[in-house]
This record gives sequence, structure tokens and C-alpha cells, in this order.
Amino acid sequence: MFESSKKIAILNSSSTINEASKEALDAALIFGSYEQPTSLFFQGEGVRQLLKHQDIQSIKVKDYLKTMSALEFYDIENIYVCQTSLNERGLAEDFHLENVQVLSAVNFSQKLHQHQVILRF
Amino acid sequence: MQTLSIIVTTPPASYLTITAIDYIDQAIEAGIDIVGVFFYQDGVLNAGANIAIPNDEYQTHKQWQRLKTEHDISLHVCITACEKRGLSDDITDNNTEQQLTNSPSKSNISEYFTISGLGELVELSAKSQRVVQF
Repeated sequence: MFESSKKIAILNSSSTINEASKEALDAALIFGSYEQPTSLFFQGEGVRQLLKHQDIQSIKVKDYLKTMSALEFYDIENIYVCQTSLNERGLAEDFHLENVQVLSAVNFSQKLHQHQVILRF
Repeated sequence: MQTLSIIVTTPPASYLTITAIDYIDQAIEAGIDIVGVFFYQDGVLNAGANIAIPNDEYQTHKQWQRLKTEHDISLHVCITACEKRGLSDDITDNNTEQQLTNSPSKSNISEYFTISGLGELVELSAKSQRVVQF
């Protein structure tokens, strides 16, 4: 393992059906497997990745959302979503993952800036 | 000494890729140690061995080559992202599972790039003081 005190943030702004979202999850799981402190952030269209009742296999996209349930096994427990982004889209706080923390835009930004490396997808 | 790693996620003809190259040159000039460059998502397309950009346009692929040969900058590509996009160091026709025997080279990844995985991204992030993504 690599000695590092850096906190890693994976910032997701792409919707569920954007291929960047799967590559973001792949990266998150690798950081987790190397025991790097990693948090996931969802804002803008990215908040859609957390919504329940999505059948992306119906449009032939691999159901990587199911893989997200593995995050806790990689000790990735900090999952933050921007409330303003949910409100703007009229989306309820009904997520397929537990431990999702809904933060106001200001708190979301503050939390994000506590991380030394921010990778955006 | 200040240390920096760069992540490139944009394809060769993207203006952001040009900005990334400019940024790296400026960092070198400022005496910053570039730990490595990691290519992910569509950024891996920069590693294609057969890129040909029209002569009157900026030659990003030649600039990566220059950064590697003149400054010994490590250029790491995520092989999973490569193979998804048709770049491989072991070319096989995935439709027939046959090695392409008439292919002159078994790799279509430029020799200036290093085949890596996401683990390298973790290492670069841990080793450098700052990470900048393009």
C-alpha cells in the first residue's frame, strides 16, 4: 500500500447512462482496494446515478449501479449528494444505496474541498 | 521539490489535450518534478500508434513523444480503457479470436507509452503533492 494522507474525492456529474459514470466507479473501487480514503460526490446530472428503480439493462447498458453496493466492502462509506441538484430536477431522496448524505450546495462544496485530490467524471 | 501528476481524459485532437501539454511544459520550466502522466477514459486514445493529425494542426502525439524522449516523463495508459477502445499490445481479432497474422505489429499502442492499470493512478496520486486533471 502507498503511504499517503491524501483524501480522494470522485466527483460525479454525468448521468447514469453516460459511460464516464462506470469508469468513475471503476476508479473509485481501485482507490478503495488500495485502502486510500475515498469519498464519492454526486452533483448535477450525476445525482441520477443514486436513484432507485432504474432499469438500465433495458437500454443494453451493463447494470453497474448494482456494483455500487460493493462500495462498503471497500470502506467507501462517504457518499454525498447535492440537495440543490436534486431539487432542480424535482427528484426525491430515494436512493439505492444506504449512507447517502444529502448536503446543501454550500456544505457539499466545503466537504469537497476537504479532499486533496478531486477526480471529476 | 514540488511534485505533480497529470491525468489526461481527453482525446488527441481535443484542445484540452493541448492545454495539458502546455501545462506540463510550464511545470517543467518552473522546476516542478512531474511524477507521471496517467491517461484514462478517452484520454487513452492519445497512445494510439497510428495517429495522424493534419500537418497544419497541432501535433499532440508528437508532443507526448517529445515529453517522453526529452524529459523522460512517464506516460501511463490504463490498458482496460485502451482495450475497450480498440488499442491493445496484443492485437487479436475479437470477432474470430484469431491473432491477426497479416498485421505487421502486434501492438497498436505507441512505444512511448507504458501499459498500466488504475493501480498506477492510485500510486501517482499518493506520490505527488498535487494532481491536475484535464
